[in-house]
Amino acid sequence: MQKRKFESLSFKIISSIILTSVVIIIGIFLSFETINKKAFYNVELQKAKLIVKTIEPLVAIDIYLGMQNKMESIVKELIKNKDILSVKILKNDKLIYEVKSKNKYKSLFIITYNILQPNSKKKIGTIVLDYSNHNYEQLIYKYTKLLVIMLVILFIISALLSIYIKNILRPLRRIARLLQDFSPEKKLKIKLMKEDNEISLILSALNEMQEKIFDFASKQKDINAYLEKEVDSKTVELRKQLFIDDLTQLPNRKKLFNAIASSENDRALLILNIDDFKEINDFYGQSVGDYILIEFAKELQHFLKDEKNIMLSRLSGDEFALFFQHKPSEKSFMRVINSLTKEIEKMVFEYEQNEIFIRVTIGATLDSNEMLEKADIALKLAKEHKKYFLLYDKKFDVKRQYKENMEWVQKIKSAIKEDRIVPYFQPIFDAITQKPVSYECLIRLIDTDGSVISPYKFLTIAQKSKLYPQLTQIMLEKSCQYFQDRDTTFSVNLSINDILDVDMVTYIQKCIKKHNVSNKIVFEILETEGIDNYVEVSSFILSMKKLGCKISIDDFGSGYSNFEHILKLDIDYIKIDGSLIKNLETDINAQIVVETIVDFAKKLNLITIAEFVHNQAVFEKVKLLDIERVQGFYLGEPNRDI
Amino acid sequence: MIRIFLFSILFVQVLFGYNYNSLLLKADATIFPKIMLMDKKIKNKLIDNKIIYTIVYDQCDYETAIHVKEYIENTFQKYMDRYPYKVDLAEFSHLSLATKASAFYVLKSSTENIKKAANIARQKGIISFSYDINNLKYDLLFSLVIENSTILYLNKEYLHTNNIDFVDSLLSMVRFIGKKSI
Repeated sequence: MQKRKFESLSFKIISSIILTSVVIIIGIFLSFETINKKAFYNVELQKAKLIVKTIEPLVAIDIYLGMQNKMESIVKELIKNKDILSVKILKNDKLIYEVKSKNKYKSLFIITYNILQPNSKKKIGTIVLDYSNHNYEQLIYKYTKLLVIMLVILFIISALLSIYIKNILRPLRRIARLLQDFSPEKKLKIKLMKEDNEISLILSALNEMQEKIFDFASKQKDINAYLEKEVDSKTVELRKQLFIDDLTQLPNRKKLFNAIASSENDRALLILNIDDFKEINDFYGQSVGDYILIEFAKELQHFLKDEKNIMLSRLSGDEFALFFQHKPSEKSFMRVINSLTKEIEKMVFEYEQNEIFIRVTIGATLDSNEMLEKADIALKLAKEHKKYFLLYDKKFDVKRQYKENMEWVQKIKSAIKEDRIVPYFQPIFDAITQKPVSYECLIRLIDTDGSVISPYKFLTIAQKSKLYPQLTQIMLEKSCQYFQDRDTTFSVNLSINDILDVDMVTYIQKCIKKHNVSNKIVFEILETEGIDNYVEVSSFILSMKKLGCKISIDDFGSGYSNFEHILKLDIDYIKIDGSLIKNLETDINAQIVVETIVDFAKKLNLITIAEFVHNQAVFEKVKLLDIERVQGFYLGEPNRDI
Repeated sequence: MIRIFLFSILFVQVLFGYNYNSLLLKADATIFPKIMLMDKKIKNKLIDNKIIYTIVYDQCDYETAIHVKEYIENTFQKYMDRYPYKVDLAEFSHLSLATKASAFYVLKSSTENIKKAANIARQKGIISFSYDINNLKYDLLFSLVIENSTILYLNKEYLHTNNIDFVDSLLSMVRFIGKKSI
């Protein structure tokens, strides 16, 4: 930082006084020069003019009347005035009389004045008067002298004032020098002044301030020491928390990341996950779950106590990692895994006279790049394929699938945000009249380029990414709105998750009430899902039926359901699975199943619907089997409008 | 030569009329018309836009009057200042209020005549000049005396006439005179 130039206060005050004095003197001088000097000059000039003006009428008469003796006496009288140096009388530019004074002054005014004929403006002569400048010069001399005296006095006053101000402000300089050595730890000896003025007040205030600062500094010092100690201990604690898992006291995920990032060797990683740990937690309670995790960690530490190359860490709830800082041979790697697996199989955790066994699934990689992701992929695939261990292989190529899924999630989110999720309506026809009697609302995603995307491409991903409820709500809202003023029934598909979601059920009820479509709407529920969650589905159907809605079992016949059991659900329609219908004209087994379903349904007064009717032959067969309603591309494709 | 001739005639005339000082007559002829012009109210005294300078004389002074007239006419060439003028002669016996005049120049005469001329001048509100200073006591206005220097006398008792208003400077150079001091 640039050091600021010191500007003395006394210098400023003195400068101001001197400047003001100079301005005043210049002002007086200028006014003297411009006003007074001129005024003095004019006074003398006027005096001379006045004399001439006074004698002019007398001289005029004398000249006019030719009485020059009179004129001479006037002029002689005039010349007695010591300031008049000479008088000349000219008649018609001819000198007729001249008188000169004995006084000799070099500086003079020359006044030339016309002599006019009395009682007329006719010029008859001229008076030339030489008037001494002596008075004017004397006046100027006096005035200049006075000005110089004033200047000297002002200068002396300024000088005295400067000394006085410097003396007054001297204590301030002393204070400033003293304060340069100030520090909160060291008290300064500030002597008080004898005089009682502003500076003595400042000194007294400084003393008081010094006392307060000293007290505050000593307190602050204690506080700082205490805080530093606290901060140090907290830092240690936080550092520990940052890298150590609270529960198992093992290095945590962050510590593992750091270890991976800081290691440049060829390495290996193994992730093991406790199978069905959630069930242990649910069954025995979370404290037991925590106890098992702690004990499991101890067992692993014990198992690895001689393995200096392996760092054990806890990744998340029931996941642990073994980081091989130097890549082992595949053989020794497998040996460790096998012995670890055997060790874990032997582990028994006792809790309140219960013996709890655990199983683990292991994913591992010997590839040093992106090892965490690869070990995780191996673990997931191992779980999917119900294997206890899987070593990552390049051919898994799961990464691409992950990327694609993430892109689809983004696509769905954008479509929701930009209102590009829309219902398409596929007509359901009466098999006899071949007229549409209802419409199934099918979800479509309109891509940014306007192309229509089928739900098969994004619905599974939507379910995984928890976007599915939003899609259901959009479909329900838009479908209900579309059909609220149309005189036809329509059906909407619900997943079991929708039915199990209390908030969603409430939303469904509000939506159908809002659009007043309770007597038009049909909810299609998958047969398999309905059977698996019989109680919840039954409750949902009951509440919807109370509102006047109708229920259809979708894809009926696709599973191995107990007809009687499912038909207790108080449904209205059975939509026979497309896999049975699509080859109906040729598949004898399918014909038998469909005939049985239709027969059963008729006994219970249920309406049957055949979907996937894609050609004339299937349609004819459907009619022959006495199925009441038909749906399929042969009769009508899904469209944006009915 | 003409002047010498005129003066010699004037001396001859003196033998038959009052005695006159030719120098004084000449001074009167030169100065009095100019004094008349110093009256600020001279315009009121113009007759047919002319100044009529009337010389009032006794029958025996006719020649003197004529000479004075001629002298004036020689001195002032047709104009007195910017005004055209005429010099008239009027005998005391013919003098009346009807006599046209912007000013009287009164030569010597009997007391009655002088009084008459002064009275008419006062009534007409015109300036009256007297050759003889003694006649100022009969209320004529101006007279001139040549002593060591030329002195112009003004009758102070006659000054306050409404119709006469001289320039101030004139009053500063005249010598005022009253009846008692003559």
